[in-house]
Amino acid sequence: MIERGRWVTLAGAVPRPRWSFRLVAFACIAVVALSALSVKLAQLQVTEGASLAALARANSVHRVVIEADRGIIYDRHGVPLVQNSPAWNLEVVPEAMPLTAAARSAEIAEVSSLSGVPAGELAAAIANADPYGSLRIGHSLTEDQELSISERIPALPGMSIARHAVRTYLYPTILSHVLGYVGPIDQGELKGLERRGYQPDELVGKVGVEAGLEARLRGTNGWADIVVDARGQVVRTLTTRAPVPGDSVYLSIDLKLELATATALTAGLQRDHKKAGASVVVDPRSGEVLAMVSLPGYDTNLFTHGISQADYERLTTDPNLPLLNRAIAGQYAPGSTFKMVTATAGLQEGKITPQTMLSCPSYLSYGGWVYHNWANYNLGNMNVARALAISCDTFFYQVAAAVGDVTLARYARAFGFGQAEGIEMPGVQPGLVPDRIWKELTCGVPDLNSDACRWTLGDTVTFGIGQSALLTTPLNQAVYVAAVANGGTVLQPTLVHEIRDWSGRLVLVHKTVVVDHVPVSPSNLAAVREGMREEINRPYNLNYWFRAAGVPADGGGKTGTAQWGGSGLDLPTHAWFVFFAPFAAPDVAMSIFVERGELSEVEAAPIAVEIMRYFNGNRAAIEAAA
Amino acid sequence: MTSIPVWRRLDVIQPTAAGLLAVLGVMTIYSANADWARQVAWITVGAAAYALAATFDYRRLLPLAPALYGGMVFLLVAVHLVGRTALGSRRWLSVGGFPLEPSELSKLLLVVTLAAFLRRGLSLSWRRFALALGLAAPPAALILTQPDLGTTIVFAAILLGMLFLGGARPAQLASLAIGALVVIPALPYLLHGYQRRRLEIFLNPSSDPLGAGYNLLQARIAVGAGGYFGQGWLHGLQGQLGFVPERATDFVFAIFAEQFGLLGSLLLLAIFGTLLVRLLKAAAVAPDRFGELIAGGVFVMLFVQVVENVGMNIGVLPIAGIPLPLISYGGSATITTLAALGLAQSVVVRRRVVVHQRQAGYPEVFDPSAVRLTF
Repeated sequence: MIERGRWVTLAGAVPRPRWSFRLVAFACIAVVALSALSVKLAQLQVTEGASLAALARANSVHRVVIEADRGIIYDRHGVPLVQNSPAWNLEVVPEAMPLTAAARSAEIAEVSSLSGVPAGELAAAIANADPYGSLRIGHSLTEDQELSISERIPALPGMSIARHAVRTYLYPTILSHVLGYVGPIDQGELKGLERRGYQPDELVGKVGVEAGLEARLRGTNGWADIVVDARGQVVRTLTTRAPVPGDSVYLSIDLKLELATATALTAGLQRDHKKAGASVVVDPRSGEVLAMVSLPGYDTNLFTHGISQADYERLTTDPNLPLLNRAIAGQYAPGSTFKMVTATAGLQEGKITPQTMLSCPSYLSYGGWVYHNWANYNLGNMNVARALAISCDTFFYQVAAAVGDVTLARYARAFGFGQAEGIEMPGVQPGLVPDRIWKELTCGVPDLNSDACRWTLGDTVTFGIGQSALLTTPLNQAVYVAAVANGGTVLQPTLVHEIRDWSGRLVLVHKTVVVDHVPVSPSNLAAVREGMREEINRPYNLNYWFRAAGVPADGGGKTGTAQWGGSGLDLPTHAWFVFFAPFAAPDVAMSIFVERGELSEVEAAPIAVEIMRYFNGNRAAIEAAA
Repeated sequence: MTSIPVWRRLDVIQPTAAGLLAVLGVMTIYSANADWARQVAWITVGAAAYALAATFDYRRLLPLAPALYGGMVFLLVAVHLVGRTALGSRRWLSVGGFPLEPSELSKLLLVVTLAAFLRRGLSLSWRRFALALGLAAPPAALILTQPDLGTTIVFAAILLGMLFLGGARPAQLASLAIGALVVIPALPYLLHGYQRRRLEIFLNPSSDPLGAGYNLLQARIAVGAGGYFGQGWLHGLQGQLGFVPERATDFVFAIFAEQFGLLGSLLLLAIFGTLLVRLLKAAAVAPDRFGELIAGGVFVMLFVQVVENVGMNIGVLPIAGIPLPLISYGGSATITTLAALGLAQSVVVRRRVVVHQRQAGYPEVFDPSAVRLTF
């Protein structure tokens, strides 16, 4: 027995375990190996932890954009002009599709037959897509396609049907040029808009108010962070931010007046076998556009619901240019409707007075060239009001020659000619005000004394009756006649009455913006306005239309038959009529344009009379919200 | 002295560590949406095997060694003849409706056979060295041709480790090293297509991020996403959502690490370390050479699997289909591991014990409560 403290050893021969060298070596190897693994683990989980955790998140957490509803466009009284109608699209998550090539192509073939998208196109789109993202394929599905695909969805892994909104225009043809349409964003637009959060497959306003008020209508997209598993199935949603719908835009347009204007213009064009025309009705007190019609129009719903190649080609190759908004982008010579500018310049520059009598011969000669009046006989002496009323060209040749081209151009610009005063849509054209400086700058010949570059007296006198190189647009004309109506104030035209955000809070109310005051004394302008009143009270033709329609001829008007396409005697013409009413305190001003119109008195003026018939009968209703 | 009860001779730490690992394993398998109930059943069977092996006197295995070797070869041949094929590899025998993976069982059988062969003498003659290699070669070849690279690697490691423990001379080990230097450059030509691909991907994982390198990358991402304290049980994005492949078997460590973080991973390695040290201790206290070699062999068998499995999960070793003992889902591997630990326990229980008794007592009256045992 061996003494060991308080214990005695009873038995057992081996006092120590046999830790051989080789077992110790094993132990050392084990310690080294496990330590090495621990160090590597620490490096992965601590040093690289954050970046690898981010990768793990990127694997499974995907941000999906929730499209904001686009703002609705209403007329000035709150009548909706457009709606967001539901549509269905096929979406696919490539990663969730079958793994084998055979099963995959079988699925693509089935989806192709159900959706009508060619199988090759489908396969290519899927091959190029983000494997975990949702890819929208093909056009919107028809209701039948939607139903038949929905039934088969359980047997089509990776496929789903997504509901989204399609812009539907309620008055697609009549309001086509005002509202425009939305379409898929193109590469050029995306470059400019990407930093504002636009997605590559987003819809964006292309023309009209849809484009001009894009920033208001679009709203702010929301998003959701969703967790998907390795098969692409959504497991849960982490966080979401709700989208903010776009603002509601209340246009200054009065829908019923717009329809009446369109009806009057359509009827007028049909009666005279004309193909194209435009009309702009404005409130001369505020600059608000009450109606804007350009014919022919086109069906904007074709663009938002997926236009066929044939329809698109028909629209782009139509000789009547239905895609051209003549109201803002059609530039034409104003013809005799310009004579109020010449009269104002002559009066205000002291070249004539309201009482000055000038002759009205059948022609006058300037610089060896003969310039005719519309009548081939002498109409005798007359004052400026009468000259406006009977539209004597030779009278205004004399006034223009006395005023001079540079001064006349100054007055034209003061009335808003030649300036693209912006309206809430792209593509507004400025028109053109010519003078000797313009001619020298644009003649394109180095020798400024050549015929091409030298401004002649002939240029001045034809400028005085709205010809020469002078160009304007129906919108421009409406702004101009409104200025004559309201006492010489050129107002900023606008299509927006007010804008409300999605909750109905008013965020913008139209405020009248004065662009310019025409430098004219009240008495001089009164003489001009008197001429316009006399014009519509001429016993034959013009006054006949008012009487026939039962509309009081209380206001001022001016016809114009403008030659175009060069110079000479038998050139094609456009017919114009500008009008305001009532005479004492005008609350409406308008321009009527008939492309290739030959007789403005019988082609353009009756259209204005028809519009006025509606306007007079509904003045209170139109004013209601204004 | 002979009446000291078995439970007082038991190494308690070893089964405790194994039990902890099994619990963590079931938790991880549950989080991987795998059949955790079945794994519990395998563990129960394994626990029975453990108890059986621990009570069974390992020394009675000695005369059975040739029969065990024959049985091992028989099973491996049977796999080649009637085995089930899955994922391009013929590995499973159906025994009474349950899939049995003989290559897993053969790891332990190799340990026992080699221990029986190497037990004599403290050093190894060249003839016996060659015989030992010859003994291991046929089963290794049968496993490699299944093909099962992972188990073959474990086989090679067991052979190497047991030769070392069995007294192999430095020259003999050096000759093995030279042999390895000859074989490894030839490896790409000997390996099957998918095995070669795995090796290439290990060397350059980003070469194919969505294809075969995907596994490696996703496992690394999962481990890294664990951070210090892990995402929490059942909250690992990578594991829960299925981005980690083979998440209940080969890559179970990755999803464990994602859920339990560096803290949990180090704890897991610490438990494995404890288990391994207990196995070495079992070898040290073994009453004879056979027991020492069995315990040492079981140590090598587990050590290699832990290091290779964790190593491939964190991207420091090439991918080979080796399970993480007691954690990975799998019946054959779990039962084999528990049986091997039971065998080591059998060695511990039969160690020579130094018996101390409190001085105050009378030697004639044996009082177990006044007895202390030391190694």
